[in-house]
Amino acid sequence: MTNHCCGPGYASPAEAMTAPREKLLYTIAIYTGTGIQKPDYLCTIDVDPESSTYSQVISRLQMPGIGDELHHSGWNACSSCHGDASMERKYLIVPGVRSSNLHIVDCGTDPRSPTLFKVIDGAEIKARTNLSAPHTVHCLGSDIIVSMLGDAKGNAPGGYLQLSKEFEVVGRWENSMGSIKFGYDFWYQPRHNVMVSSEWAAPNTFMPGFDLEEVGHLKYGREIHFWDFEKREPKQTFYLGEDGLIPLEVRFHHNPDSSHGFVGAALSANIIHWWKDAAGDWQWEKIVDVGNEPHPEWPIPIPGVISVILLSMDDRYLYLCNWLHGDIRQYDISDPHNAKLTGQVWMGGLLGRAPKVNGVKVTGGPQMIQLSLDGKRLYVTTSLFSTWDNQFYPEIRTNGGCMLMVNCDTENGGMEIDPLFVVDFGKEPNGPSRCHETRYPGGDCTSDIWV
Amino acid sequence: MTNFTITLANQGGAAFDVDQRKPLLQSLREQGVDLPYGCKYGGCISCAAKMISGKVDQKAQRALNNRQINNGYIILCVARPMSDCTLEVGVESHDKLYRNPFLDPLAPHELKADIAIPLEAKK
Repeated sequence: MTNHCCGPGYASPAEAMTAPREKLLYTIAIYTGTGIQKPDYLCTIDVDPESSTYSQVISRLQMPGIGDELHHSGWNACSSCHGDASMERKYLIVPGVRSSNLHIVDCGTDPRSPTLFKVIDGAEIKARTNLSAPHTVHCLGSDIIVSMLGDAKGNAPGGYLQLSKEFEVVGRWENSMGSIKFGYDFWYQPRHNVMVSSEWAAPNTFMPGFDLEEVGHLKYGREIHFWDFEKREPKQTFYLGEDGLIPLEVRFHHNPDSSHGFVGAALSANIIHWWKDAAGDWQWEKIVDVGNEPHPEWPIPIPGVISVILLSMDDRYLYLCNWLHGDIRQYDISDPHNAKLTGQVWMGGLLGRAPKVNGVKVTGGPQMIQLSLDGKRLYVTTSLFSTWDNQFYPEIRTNGGCMLMVNCDTENGGMEIDPLFVVDFGKEPNGPSRCHETRYPGGDCTSDIWV
Repeated sequence: MTNFTITLANQGGAAFDVDQRKPLLQSLREQGVDLPYGCKYGGCISCAAKMISGKVDQKAQRALNNRQINNGYIILCVARPMSDCTLEVGVESHDKLYRNPFLDPLAPHELKADIAIPLEAKK
């Protein structure tokens, strides 16, 4: 990975930005909820422009059973283990949100054709920890923790599953959930002894689909939580109210000395920024507010639904997706209090701005994104979650999802959809599937944390 | 032991003898029926089927709102039969399962059981 003698990842975000260009991507694809009785799978996609199979799926690793709903994934090791020469970024932990199974995939032995190394059965996790519905995976130096969104019966708030580096269940990571009502994403910044977690809903609430009325009944999140990372317990909660309905992806600055971080409030379509002030107190503010858009056939304007945000490795740009509107935005956050819109592209969405891109009908909207370490290539997928897809974009069942690439101008700002890259998951061998989160073999802009 | 007959209307009327003590998903899969499923605790809706006739005990389900229940949906991973039943199964039966929540809101009595306001209570 690097010229250093040490463990996985990079000595710093700046060093990560100089790594060789990514040549492969790992992207999950699902059949859960599609009517096709096949397992979800992990795709390997060729992104080397010099290769004859550029922009194609070159291998597919099926999970052992159906119905997992693969969603997010994380590495066994990242730059947090850079100083440990015994560690290797080799295994991708790929959870099934619905089944609670954790798939440990060996991507190191043959990076072009990963194999299944181990499965931790969801039934074992439920029995030993009373947790279900795994979501975010982060490596924590010597351990791995996974946010689990429910108890063994799908009720909130769930907790955190701790795995050893040998992929054995250690137990619950947290010492207390305090008064936290829901779980979802988390990110830690050890130099400030802090972890921040966000809130989706109980698995029994979000898994069957989105009943908007349940937001008003407080069954969806609107708070973020600041943890004492070493004590493994929540310390402070911010009630975001109407500005922060359904706060999802949590991103700290990659710079480990920085206290600045961001969360995208999906339903409010706002970006919330937090930081530690001169007195050492955490503060928050809203820095982006995406307005609702009128739709010719809807009685009410459509909210953007910010389903993901991401920061470039140099912490200069913030990217967000409005899954229902259909746009990806790039903001310059050099001054994190003043986000400046510097780029915008359209693909799919309900507003009809870009129904077809690169010859492929885009069903769904821009959803998960992953940015290259140098900040120049943003890979985008279009499916959110099987049941929610079925509600908002029912044609995805026959059309499948797709992956596109956006070229990003890191000097002056700006974005442009690459005209030569498209992966049409509507043409998969077992029928139309849907693609979600992507990882790069050498780490990416949401995988690595510096201690 | 009491057994009931489950008829799958959208699988050529195939009929299966099932134990009333077992969840329908388990009984049908054990007899070779290829069905979708996910969480196996009644919370995720992947295994929803439409009941054309019959009666089940699905007290353990947490996935369905009252509109979905009124449209006949049952959650196979936790539903136990209380009579002979005729079902439509799989995604082909999901025509009324999903709705755009912005275009087609639920009435207060159509919410999930724990937050629904019964029709008579509104008077």
